[in-house]
Amino acid sequence: MRHIFLPLILLLLVALEGVALDILPSSLIDGDMMITPHWVLMFLVLIAIFYDRNNSYHSIIYAAIFGLLIDISYTGILGVYMFTYTVVIYIIRELRNILHSNIYSTLLFGIISIMIAELIINLIYYVVGIIDLIWMDYLMERLLPSILANFIFLLILYPLFAKRLEKWKNSKAK
Amino acid sequence: MLRKKRLFTILIGIIILVVFIGYSLGNRSNLTTGEQFVSDIIGMVQNVISTPVKYVTNIFDNIDDIRNTYDENQLLREKLAQYKGLIYEVQEIKEENTELREIIDKADSIRSYNPIHATVTARSPERWIEQVTINKGSIAGVKENMAVITAAGMVGKIQSVSQLTSTVQLLSGFDEFNRISATISRKEGNDIFGLIEEYDKKTNSLLFKIIEESDKDLEEGELVVSSGMGGVFPAGLPIGTVKEVIPDDYGLTKTALVEPAANMYEINNVIVVDRVLTGEEEEEE
Repeated sequence: MRHIFLPLILLLLVALEGVALDILPSSLIDGDMMITPHWVLMFLVLIAIFYDRNNSYHSIIYAAIFGLLIDISYTGILGVYMFTYTVVIYIIRELRNILHSNIYSTLLFGIISIMIAELIINLIYYVVGIIDLIWMDYLMERLLPSILANFIFLLILYPLFAKRLEKWKNSKAK
Repeated sequence: MLRKKRLFTILIGIIILVVFIGYSLGNRSNLTTGEQFVSDIIGMVQNVISTPVKYVTNIFDNIDDIRNTYDENQLLREKLAQYKGLIYEVQEIKEENTELREIIDKADSIRSYNPIHATVTARSPERWIEQVTINKGSIAGVKENMAVITAAGMVGKIQSVSQLTSTVQLLSGFDEFNRISATISRKEGNDIFGLIEEYDKKTNSLLFKIIEESDKDLEEGELVVSSGMGGVFPAGLPIGTVKEVIPDDYGLTKTALVEPAANMYEINNVIVVDRVLTGEEEEEE
């Protein structure tokens, strides 16, 4: 029963990302600032750190599946989020053994993951020709606000799921 | 051995990425069944979620609105008085128009359309891609390339359709592949024609390229409406107002910067415009 929770939560987060921008006041969206929610990625980071064992690859498989779902339902350009999320989660999974898994390391990994994800996504869009951007503007208007907003989201998510994910991981072993 | 395996996986990943992107950027007109299925399922979840979220955000919006109500009320009263005369005039003209149409036996015009009402359930979190999802799909009669409007004016066109949901490409995401033939209505046949070519992100306005033969002295604040000549959109949908006029690179034609009439960020209820007269384009396909 337990392992059905994770895909359900992830699916819910995919759907929630679509209304995420409605929650923010429109003055914030109207301006030059561009905040991109990466809630699915944040939850995947938690899964990678707390749920996966050294020999299991749940987080990476989920990253590929739900990245593809985001591509289908929100951008119409397949593969971009799928590729990016998979790569980012793979990197996080490799890195996680360096630090103890506590809230500080999780937040650090969260920031790293958003930075890498945003860079890869924008690089792909840039190469494909969907956007043409000035990297300096991009840094100030998009990367920093996005990191901040997702950081806050991870801060909320951590106390809710960190312990629970570890419990699910241990109960899975039995 | 392990390194080789890793390299291999990364290469396969990149190949998959390139294939997927190439496939989705190519000229495809319909979503695959798998994509339709996924968008329908996520659309259903979004339907459930968006209703309470919209309810709460609306409360905050309403509080904001109440503060401005008094000033707005004064202004609207003045305007209303002016409109009364206009309404009478429009009614007369409408009646006359239907009468004349009956005489020449021409019921449909490129102006008439069937409205399909829909609610916005989600907006793409990827901000480069200006796209929203609405809760009506092919079952309700929505088809690709139909215009989407709000009470204020045009907001975009239907990009892709699945059974229960469809995605709308907003005007602010229009590129050179999405042209709208538009016009500025003038007295005595001096209408100005042109094409809305793309959205300029720097000035936050649509670029309205005016064709050469038209009268070129535009004024600020003039209303740009769709002309219906493109074959897809009906005529007379308000698009925006002229903000500024600039000459093009060669000085031969002029481009007007058009500010969209509808707010692209606060879209809740939209109308999908199903044009009664289908254009030639569709018949050719």
